[in-house]
Amino acid sequence: MTNERVPQDGERFTGHGSEWKPANLTAGEAAIATAWVEQKIDRRSMLTNKDRVEDVRDAMWQLEKDGQIKVHRITEQHEPVEAKTLYGWTKRIPTTQLWHHKSCGQCGNIPGYPVSLLWLMNKMGIRYLDETDQTSCTAWNYHGSGIGNIESLAAVFLRNFHQAYVAAKAQGLPEGYYYPLVHCGTSFGNYKEVRAYLLHSARLRESVTKILGKLGRLVDGKLLIPEEVVHYSEWVHVMRNRIKEHQEIDASGIRATIHPACHVYKMVPEDAIYDDDILDGNRVAVSTGIMQALGANVIDYKTWYDCCGFGFRHIISEREFTRSFAIDRKIKVAVEEAQSDVMIGHDTGCITTLDKNQWIGKAAGKAYELPVMADCQFAALVCGADPYRIVQTHWHASPIETLLEKLGIDWKAKKADFEDYLTTIQTGDADQLYDPRLRITSGPGFKPVKREVVPPPPAD
Amino acid sequence: MAEAATSRVQEFIGDPVSETPVVPRAKLEEIFKDIQDDLRFDHELNGCLNCGICTATCPAAHYYDFSPREIVQLLWTENLEGIYDAMQEKIWSCAQCYTCAARCPFGNSPGGLVMLMREVAIKHQMQSAKDVLRPFSRVMLKLISTGNQLAPDMINPQHFADWGPNISKVDAPLKVLRKAVPMATLNTTETAWEVNLKTSVELYTIWEMTGVLDQLEGIDENLFDVITDIMDEKRADWEDFQAEQEDDDDE
Repeated sequence: MTNERVPQDGERFTGHGSEWKPANLTAGEAAIATAWVEQKIDRRSMLTNKDRVEDVRDAMWQLEKDGQIKVHRITEQHEPVEAKTLYGWTKRIPTTQLWHHKSCGQCGNIPGYPVSLLWLMNKMGIRYLDETDQTSCTAWNYHGSGIGNIESLAAVFLRNFHQAYVAAKAQGLPEGYYYPLVHCGTSFGNYKEVRAYLLHSARLRESVTKILGKLGRLVDGKLLIPEEVVHYSEWVHVMRNRIKEHQEIDASGIRATIHPACHVYKMVPEDAIYDDDILDGNRVAVSTGIMQALGANVIDYKTWYDCCGFGFRHIISEREFTRSFAIDRKIKVAVEEAQSDVMIGHDTGCITTLDKNQWIGKAAGKAYELPVMADCQFAALVCGADPYRIVQTHWHASPIETLLEKLGIDWKAKKADFEDYLTTIQTGDADQLYDPRLRITSGPGFKPVKREVVPPPPAD
Repeated sequence: MAEAATSRVQEFIGDPVSETPVVPRAKLEEIFKDIQDDLRFDHELNGCLNCGICTATCPAAHYYDFSPREIVQLLWTENLEGIYDAMQEKIWSCAQCYTCAARCPFGNSPGGLVMLMREVAIKHQMQSAKDVLRPFSRVMLKLISTGNQLAPDMINPQHFADWGPNISKVDAPLKVLRKAVPMATLNTTETAWEVNLKTSVELYTIWEMTGVLDQLEGIDENLFDVITDIMDEKRADWEDFQAEQEDDDDE
């Protein structure tokens, strides 16, 4: 046998059969012909066509029945509202007595995100606790660097959720009074993934029981597992009609695009909320639901399913990837195709990425400008929250001011008022959404504060 | 190819290790075993027909020489040399969005498999891991010593020049701007929120007991030394506080 090639004579073989002929479609015809593919691949059927999907809560209830774990239950005191997840399973979302599991990226970088959420809760008389005995979930670091492991992630999860369970004791209230509400999408996805591994692996449970035991964070000698891991966007979703009751500003002139967060709905897809009345149930319902309830026009776009480009390590050390992806695949499409007035997200990393990476686009001739914020920030704005004192829009690099103008908000006057306020607090006290003494529940600085009544909403 | 017992793959496909691997075969096998021994491995890898839907939907594949399909194939076919090669650079391209996992008809999680490979790259102190993680030292220091991963004082034009001139569109000292955030836990500049001393000490105990500090020492000894000094002081502060409480109780 020699290596000499057989002459090809231009012959091509397609494997499609002798009847096949090139269609020679124009670009427009090709776009029409393939449009159905794009529709198909974005539909939830792509997520539900698998077998071997289990409801991990079955394992959880069995372990509790066997006396191996304690479940932190959502009870009537938490006034739960039911929602349906991808496969039509029921997920109960607690709506009050909530323990805020904060996000390091939100609190450090976009503080108007959590402030808007707490402001909405005050507006509706929701009981909650925001305290200092909480760590980051550590999953941003883990996904970015690989430093960490399943044991460390599980132990951090269980430590924080145990604290949520016992925190009310500092106020003379019973264990289990508060239920954790996770602000960050990364934490949300990570905790759900870790919970599943904990429920399946006796070896993992054994190893973290030793750690939690050393920390004094077992309940009756058992690991405490939450009945549900709940994301704040799910709370906003089930509360959307109650939030709407407080709406003061018309949002019907706003064209909004939604950027759903990967770790919210792709990481543990079976736990994401879908609603047949929201985009025909083809897309995750959170964020779209609240925007539609507030009367905004949610505009679909072809890269809806794409991630933002955050990448965990990329946003720190490979930013050319992050900004290229954010601009080319998300911002550009939302501006040119959807003609969007605002892009709404529900996760820390996404909003940071999409908001901060627009300015540099000018250097590459891609000067796309689009306001970016979280669903709860938009909801707070149209419910009358101050764009600076509450929504803290000055931390956003994107042109939020254009959105404020479209909503009829005189941002220049509000900004001037805020600048005056900054002068006054340099020497005096600043406004707070809750009694600051409640933030410390043990250790240095702790003073017991009985909490028997709901704190009044702050004066606007 | 006779030095080890043949595996399923070697028997049916053939031994993928070349005559002259870049590291000894025993090392390649050790690395693969560490990946395969993780309790998540079988959950993340169920089979693969090379359909490539994972790569078609992968953001990193747009910009890098990276394919989640290739990662899955390397692990599925136990291509020890290919796995080692992918751990040098490719695994660090993944953006960890898990779109691949949501889409895979087999229920594989290429993104999850990448995480197992990253952990093992760190365990084996691969140079690639050290290079990749160098820019992460600020984050690691903040996270391990405070319990917070990101803080307001980390966001500045020096580190994020490409984010533009406006870290805040209102010009005022960071401390004042943070005081104007109406959540008492957020009136901080060096951490995202005020973290209880006990909380930091508990987190440090978790790092110790789960081997994370050992990982860190293997990758960046200087950072490890700095962190242990800080945490020794915090532990001492916490013990002092507890001793004071006991004294108060005795009085």
